[in-house]
Amino acid sequence: METLLPELLRSLVSGLLMGMVFALVALGLTVIFGVMDIVNFAHGEFLMIGMYTTLVTAPFLGVDPTLTLPLAGVVGAALGLACYFGVVQFLLRGPMVAQLLGTFGLMLVLRNVALLFMGSEPRSVHKGWLVGQSWLVGPGVVLESTKLAAAVLSIVSFVAVWWLIRRTKTGMALTATSLDKEGARYVGISTERMNGLSWAIGGASVAIAGGLLVNFWPVDPNVGLLFTMIAFATVALGGFGSIRGAFLAGILIGLIVSLPTVWDAFIRFAGLGDFSIHSFKYTFVYIIYFLIMVIRPQGLFGWKQ
Amino acid sequence: MRKLALLLTALMLAALMVPGLALAQAKEIKLGAIYPLTGGAAAEGRELRAGVELAVEIANGVMAGIDMDMAKNGGIKSLGGAKITVIFKDHQGNPQLGADLAKKLIEDDKVVGILGCYHSSVTKTVAAVCERFEIPMINDSSTSPSLTKSGFKWFWRTTPHDTQFTKDLFEFMKGLTEGKAKGVPAVPVADIKTLAAACEKTEWGTNVSETIKQFAGEYKFDLAANLLYAAKSPDLSAEVQSLKAAKPGAMLFASYTSDAILMIKTLQSMKASPKLLWGQDAGFEAPEFVTTLGDSTVGILTRTVFTPQVAQVKKVAGQVNELYKKKTGIDLSGPSARSFTGLHAWVHVLEKAGSTEPKAIQAAANAITIPGEQLVVPWFGIKFATMGDDIGQNTLGTGMIGQYQKKGDKITLEIVYPFNLATSNMVYPFKGF
Repeated sequence: METLLPELLRSLVSGLLMGMVFALVALGLTVIFGVMDIVNFAHGEFLMIGMYTTLVTAPFLGVDPTLTLPLAGVVGAALGLACYFGVVQFLLRGPMVAQLLGTFGLMLVLRNVALLFMGSEPRSVHKGWLVGQSWLVGPGVVLESTKLAAAVLSIVSFVAVWWLIRRTKTGMALTATSLDKEGARYVGISTERMNGLSWAIGGASVAIAGGLLVNFWPVDPNVGLLFTMIAFATVALGGFGSIRGAFLAGILIGLIVSLPTVWDAFIRFAGLGDFSIHSFKYTFVYIIYFLIMVIRPQGLFGWKQ
Repeated sequence: MRKLALLLTALMLAALMVPGLALAQAKEIKLGAIYPLTGGAAAEGRELRAGVELAVEIANGVMAGIDMDMAKNGGIKSLGGAKITVIFKDHQGNPQLGADLAKKLIEDDKVVGILGCYHSSVTKTVAAVCERFEIPMINDSSTSPSLTKSGFKWFWRTTPHDTQFTKDLFEFMKGLTEGKAKGVPAVPVADIKTLAAACEKTEWGTNVSETIKQFAGEYKFDLAANLLYAAKSPDLSAEVQSLKAAKPGAMLFASYTSDAILMIKTLQSMKASPKLLWGQDAGFEAPEFVTTLGDSTVGILTRTVFTPQVAQVKKVAGQVNELYKKKTGIDLSGPSARSFTGLHAWVHVLEKAGSTEPKAIQAAANAITIPGEQLVVPWFGIKFATMGDDIGQNTLGTGMIGQYQKKGDKITLEIVYPFNLATSNMVYPFKGF
């Protein structure tokens, strides 16, 4: 028991932290989907651009990378607006498949533009308050600065977005738009602007996440893909469009991916050999995702059909 | 009568042309080189290409300052000084495309032989095409052991493969405990007896993982954790936690570039403290590994096949490196030194064959021995196995183990194994992050 319990605790902490990182990345995706029923395939590229924004501007402005987060947010929001008013609003006139392929195309364009300007090699931030910091707490539990900060930011952003949507007039207008576009228009809500707003919020939140994550994760033009696969699963698991659902699903996924460590600790403890299940880490995530899709297609907390 | 005259003229022309053709063939020997010139491995592709181009220049010219036979002949002597031309093709890392390009090279360009292809997966399909057309292929840079397990009759590999490289690691660790490493007194066996390995889960990494397990048993090490992971993963903290929980003396990895970087970053932030940290080339030797991680790499070991440090212990490597640097602005590296050696092997094989007939080349390749002092790579030489379970494999190749060390404010990869080639004192134990 002596070795098993601390190991469980370590996995729990690291799973929770990573889960909140996943949730943070998924937030913008679920906001856009909630309002517009559009899956933004370029979501990971917004993350990547947020990462590059911090990477490039921090040394340029001579400030700590963490202080460039508002700038990353502005860049993300501007990019979101540009994408919506430049591309997506035209896609809305077409069939569903046009929207899917349209944002997919957006993804390819953004990725290749990044490739053109930044090159393909991974780059990372070398100096900053959060870089390379971690603390040992209790029985070998490691708190990594970037993940801890991302977890805090995750909670703050989720509360902020939830408050915006539930407690403000703009939020009500957003909700109205997502519930019934026609109806919203009849009562005088500019649904175009609401759509644009959702892209701005979505873009800003994920770009801020990127600006923070680059303190730990190296960035290259393809980095978005690593996170978006998980983000899609998070959003679908939590329920498309559900803010609370995305948060809880993120944490659930974080815990699922730390299962192999628990398993390793358990078989070592019980002397059951050395069969490792790390290579199936994401398989478990997608199995749960599949089961939810079959049993409860609207997701854990979804209300949209 | 006119018809007869015409026929005679035609015959005479034909008779004139036949030796003409044969002569033209002797003047130029076409080889096809298939490499990843664009796509994810484009950087390596450029180096591979430059290595081959330099070898062609040396083989076709007469270069006084290079101490190798190839530099003195001005072409293939046994073929009347015939010059080598290499046609480069880009497979983009795609096995199917590689096979198509090989077919084109053989059928349309009528190449005498093929060189390539870096990615083991592409080499596999290209070798199958060559086998079917009975055209010889020399592989310079693919390390999957399975490539020489098919018993192909038209396939030869100059580079050592992963099983040999992994064996080197265990020889190195054994030597370390016996006090053979330069600058390190004998390390107590208990210090590094416990191992933990994490390999990426495609064919390459899985294979390395299996050979690590096999050799750990043979060399009596205790492999406490041996896990496979997805290289395209946003997070490796669960993996690192499992590695740490095994409390290993040495951590072993087979990783591509971005996951190698993420792995080291995660090890660092989770405060892992192994005494040895070794990577199986690939990501651990990528230039980005050092540029992205900076000083965190100091003390990390990687399997390698060539570092500029080889020039210190091998004169001819230094001479070729000078030319390469003049041509490209960078030093010879694992890919370029091996592609250079691949073409170098082709030159010796053609010289020995004295013919461009596939059968003659086959016989020459099977019989050839190229002494180590001719090569830029620090091997005992090149001699291909013709029997056993590794047919076509060079039996005289060796790997090296390098260690990242800080010299001034530059990080260099110093050789620590083979022990007799060591270019610097080894840093032991790994000082931690």
